[in-house]
Amino acid sequence: MIEYSLIPLENHLVVNLYGDLDIDSTEVIEEELLPFVSNYKKVHFKFEEVPFVDSSGMGLLLNLVQTLSEKGIKVKILGIREEIMEVFELLQLPEILGDGIFV
Amino acid sequence: MFHDNLTYHFNSSEEDKKILDKSLQREINMARNIQIQLLNGKTPKFEGGEVKGSSLPARLIGGDYYDFYPLIDGNIRIVIGDVMGKGIPAAMLMILTRGAFRSASESTQSPGETLTAINQAIYEDLRTLKSFVTLFCADWSPSTGTLTYANAGHNIPIFINGKTLEVKELPKVKGVMVGGLPNQRYKEVSVRLEENDSVFFYTDGIIEAQNKCGEQYKLERLVLTLLESKDYNVGDIEKCVMSSITRFTEGAPQKDDITMVLLKIRERKADISSLNSPVLG
Repeated sequence: MIEYSLIPLENHLVVNLYGDLDIDSTEVIEEELLPFVSNYKKVHFKFEEVPFVDSSGMGLLLNLVQTLSEKGIKVKILGIREEIMEVFELLQLPEILGDGIFV
Repeated sequence: MFHDNLTYHFNSSEEDKKILDKSLQREINMARNIQIQLLNGKTPKFEGGEVKGSSLPARLIGGDYYDFYPLIDGNIRIVIGDVMGKGIPAAMLMILTRGAFRSASESTQSPGETLTAINQAIYEDLRTLKSFVTLFCADWSPSTGTLTYANAGHNIPIFINGKTLEVKELPKVKGVMVGGLPNQRYKEVSVRLEENDSVFFYTDGIIEAQNKCGEQYKLERLVLTLLESKDYNVGDIEKCVMSSITRFTEGAPQKDDITMVLLKIRERKADISSLNSPVLG
């Protein structure tokens, strides 16, 4: 289950995520976070405190980034742990989401 | 057009809720039976080796998938996959994937082509449904002893060398998960398997199985278990892996579906021409 904190900066919104990104995070991501961050032009999601992402979590992340990108919002994902990044690369998420998303 | 707003809705009285619960339970059980029947399809038998698969859903039904498809040239096409999510939604997409795999296998010549055809067939549906499937597809040729494979974002299977007892992942091959991007071509890699070599295909529910402290089973424990059980037949190796996971998790709730497929090579006959086409038994 994921939790988050928001830091609105001058040029962008920082979203710090805490906990596992999994199927139990669906409502938090889709019903709370997505509508809120849609009001910003640039959003940085920080993953330092996310120890585990399952396949449902990857689907949530994929849809979050794609939905925001379609609205013209610039998204960056920072601080992904090495073991999670390995799985993302296996799924080729960086290729699917485009260059410059994962920092 | 499929309408959903004309469906009869129960009132919220206690009696109506009981009827609805009973009806839902019955339908879930029926869906589970359908999935068990479809997953427990016939396992191909062939000379010079054995293959077997098994799956344990985290909930009543699951989104993991494995299948075998005997090809006309005597080869066997093996597929293992993991639909995003779990439970009933994943199970519905698993059935969609199974249909796409079976029809693609009929019309394609290689595992890479099969993955391309599956992606073409279900990409639009998966995007609409905001889902994806990881798939690993391999053709085993009993006559040449060659395993040719392609990958759509799935875990690389583990290779157990029967002679040197080296246990490692098969040579890596990458590819975008099914539903990720349209018009994908999937690279293929071939390896030669010798007598007593095994290949262990699996889904991430195995290495990500958690105990009560939140520790994961991880690849290292799986490798050790496969080494310990290397001399067994495929059925017994599967039992050893399941038993090892159960011991590790100590009754902690299973978070994800667990699925594995084992291919083990036995002594090959000198006379290749005597090899029969694989039969489903």
